Amino acid sequence: MARLRESFARVAMHGDELPLFFYSDLFIKHPEVRDLFPISMAVQRSHLVDALVKIVSQVDSVNELAAFLQGLGRDHRKFGAVADHYDAVGASLLATLEHFSGPAWTPELAADWQAAYELIASVMIASARADEQERPAWWRGTVVAYERRTFDVCVLSVRPEPRMDYLPGQSVAIESPSRPKLWRYYSMASAPRRDGLLEFHVRLIDGGAVSMALTSAAIAGTEVRLGPPVGALTLSRPASGRDILLVAGSTGLAPLKAILEEVAAADQPPRVDLFFGARTADGLYDLDSLEKMAAQYPWLTVTPAVSADSRFAGETGSLPDVVARCGDWSRRDAYLAGPTEMVQETVARLATAGMPQEQIHIEDFGWSEP
Amino acid sequence: MTTAWFDEESRLTPDELLTVTFPLSRLGRRGYEEEPVQGFLRVVHAEFVRLVNERASLWQEVQRLRRRILSGEAGGDQPSVLFGEADAHVHAVRILSSAQVTADRYVADAQAYSSRVTEEARLRRDDIMREAQQHSDMILEEAHARARDAAVTALNDSTPPQTDRERRAAQAELAYLRTYSDVYRAHLRAYTEGVLHSIEEWERKEAASVQELAQGNDRRSIT
Repeated sequence: MARLRESFARVAMHGDELPLFFYSDLFIKHPEVRDLFPISMAVQRSHLVDALVKIVSQVDSVNELAAFLQGLGRDHRKFGAVADHYDAVGASLLATLEHFSGPAWTPELAADWQAAYELIASVMIASARADEQERPAWWRGTVVAYERRTFDVCVLSVRPEPRMDYLPGQSVAIESPSRPKLWRYYSMASAPRRDGLLEFHVRLIDGGAVSMALTSAAIAGTEVRLGPPVGALTLSRPASGRDILLVAGSTGLAPLKAILEEVAAADQPPRVDLFFGARTADGLYDLDSLEKMAAQYPWLTVTPAVSADSRFAGETGSLPDVVARCGDWSRRDAYLAGPTEMVQETVARLATAGMPQEQIHIEDFGWSEP
Repeated sequence: MTTAWFDEESRLTPDELLTVTFPLSRLGRRGYEEEPVQGFLRVVHAEFVRLVNERASLWQEVQRLRRRILSGEAGGDQPSVLFGEADAHVHAVRILSSAQVTADRYVADAQAYSSRVTEEARLRRDDIMREAQQHSDMILEEAHARARDAAVTALNDSTPPQTDRERRAAQAELAYLRTYSDVYRAHLRAYTEGVLHSIEEWERKEAASVQELAQGNDRRSIT
């Protein structure tokens, strides 16, 4: 183990050259694999190095590493990875390590790396196989409705084939036809519906390749690809019995609205306070429907807040400030979603105000990635 | 301080340059400014990585030449191994890598450009909205002021108009107000229509460019 770690530290010195060599070696030996990747490989390369660093550093904590590799194996199904590819990747990985190790490369070291890679690949392949029994690698999704709500927020309605089961609050990776091989996570904005349609709230991010494609009117009627539902931002099961605080910044509303719908379907819904924040009043793109729900459900309070327009009639200021000054939430379960900074700040404020960590629920992957 | 700034046991790696921390000098004592030092470390890091890579490729080159000499000594007749299969592969990898880096740069440039364009559009839109808001505030305020004046005048002038002259004056005032409101309405309509027109224009352009894009895609899939 120490030998692998030392060897990796040495080759890691080469920075971006390492993954660059790896992918070029792979594509020259197996040109057919190139089609599984996007045109620009810059992000891909840093993902590869990050994963290697994680694997090498966690090599001692087997359980944690196994969970990571199993997730990775399942995740790669939607990219079109099959068992055959694992051998090709292993060969190129070894060739890369050999190339950069120089005189330090010995037959023993090669055997160590070979054994380590085989172990990694077998865990990933086994988990991918098990996943195959349960669900497709990806779903075909037809965009049946496109609605532009504001200058930069669109609501899409997508019909998945086959039907997709998920927990309210979960997300799927979406690939648009005009940006092949680029996947971004979006949360379903409603609890599973009888007609099976999925609703997504998409915000245009400046320069965001996928969000730009998804918010363009040309997306209507096209077919996108959807990865399997993932994510842990879901109601605690069994129910905790605590009342609920929902804090949504911009399109972070999507997963929380799905959770809200699930709460509404319960026999005795707990009290729910929903804060919905945006920069300007115009950005509160779904306030009408939330206010309708608030009028219908006595247990629900909706508080809109605007941070960059002092003329707004309701709460003004940054969302974490507004939430903090509007009550003592320490005995609630809190669910937060929105821009990373806003979420982190709100987490810090709630923790300071005495909310235990296990009552704060956030998603830990970048739903807001462009 | 969590990590030692220098580990004497092992050799320095480039990444250590980016994570190294130094103890701060005590208040009132002279020390370097942090930002220029960090900046310099970043430059040294890049140079370090470059040198490490240069050394690796030189080592590869030495290996290649050594193989060539050895095969020359052993083989006698065949002068073939000037450029063996393994060397050709490494060469191909290098060519593909530099092509990939070029492609990455094109994509990054395109993305930066599109980012700039959307950002500008966003700012422009904010400007238009703000201007429209100010304009409507102004119109509203003036209309309020006029109405207040009119009401005050009417109150002060509570006795019903009796003489022809007074009636004529009242009619004149009424006519004036009517004209005034007409002018305002026309004014507001022209402004609103102007805004609407530019929105339609914008939408038309977007639709056209979407269509163009779709046709472009078709053409590409045909060829």
